[in-house]
Amino acid sequence: MEYSTDEVLEVAFDAGYILLESGAEIFRVEETMQRISRYFGVDDAHKDFFVLANGLFATGITDRGHFARVRQSRVQGARLSRVVAINQLSRRIEQGQYTLPEVKRELERIRSIPEPPALLQILAAGFGSGAFCLMFGGGWTDAAASFLAGLLLYVFVVFVSAPHMSKISGNLLGGAIVTLASVALWSAGIGRSMSHIIIGGIIPLVPGLAFTNGIRDIADGDYISGAVRLLDALLVFLCIAVGVGAVFTVYRHITGGVPL
Amino acid sequence: MVRFLAAAVGTVAFALIFDVPYRYYFLCALIGGAGFWATEALMGLGLTATEATFIATLLVALSSRICAVWRRCPVTVFLVSGIIPLVPGAGVYWTAYYLVMGDTSEALTRGFAALRAAIAIVLGIVLVLEIPNRLFHWSRKRP
Repeated sequence: MEYSTDEVLEVAFDAGYILLESGAEIFRVEETMQRISRYFGVDDAHKDFFVLANGLFATGITDRGHFARVRQSRVQGARLSRVVAINQLSRRIEQGQYTLPEVKRELERIRSIPEPPALLQILAAGFGSGAFCLMFGGGWTDAAASFLAGLLLYVFVVFVSAPHMSKISGNLLGGAIVTLASVALWSAGIGRSMSHIIIGGIIPLVPGLAFTNGIRDIADGDYISGAVRLLDALLVFLCIAVGVGAVFTVYRHITGGVPL
Repeated sequence: MVRFLAAAVGTVAFALIFDVPYRYYFLCALIGGAGFWATEALMGLGLTATEATFIATLLVALSSRICAVWRRCPVTVFLVSGIIPLVPGAGVYWTAYYLVMGDTSEALTRGFAALRAAIAIVLGIVLVLEIPNRLFHWSRKRP
């Protein structure tokens, strides 16, 4: 069955956009768009895709004239389950298991895969903090304090910073909140090493996906996108450090020193 | 052993935050735990932190690629979660700590150590990603 170039490119574009939004590497976005359009009969001479970390461009030559779409994408949180789902979809398309309308429906379904529930994310951040505190050499009481600091941090991330704040202020405040919570817990006698409590607590803010994807994009030769992602990761690191440092500065003026 | 388990649990926590599908958690945990354990073991053998991080990254990236081929899913799933225990999060903290304490030289030492670890991770990932894809398909039945 023959499809119009418009229809095919529209679907390829949507698949690419979901991937980009969910934290896929640039080459995967490009490759998936190419595969879908090729399989449904749009050859390379009739289309062009250009993918950046924060935008998607597609043009094509159709029977009726031209196809052109541009869409901006904000660098958001990781949604790897969508990347996995589209990866499987594109493999099955190539095996001939889908017609174009079915692909459309499937993409609609993938787009609506829900995030892990907020409560689960918060718990995960808590356990992650506690575990990393132990890993970096903290004791069990330190880990317990880290767990609490991580929980508090992610309550802030899920309900305040992710929906309402910029990356910079979100991570600055996140670092500060963890430090404040750790100082409070430590002063209340929970945990022995304040540094280990804080290190565990700030770990959920670490920009692992931006960092890894940035490296991968640069390795693939997608320098602009890789640079954008690495800059994003570097900025987040700096913001965390400044958030921690700011609270320390105040604490030092009040008490005359910061315990290890 | 406790710290290996801690690294594994921490990796799974991150996998959840990254919205990795549940069925991959166990492999993520193994890779993350192994990466951290390798760093510790190598430093115990007398390697510097940077060298140990580099070799551990090679291990994490290689096993991520093998698992990705085996389970037919994007390598990102394993790589992103597995690399987290190696990321110098503690280094960032110590840099901020010593800066505030006014100990600039110690802050620089810690900051550069974190930077070196980051570069080691970059090199490790890039090297493994350059290995051609077909070398990873020897174990897979051709369709």
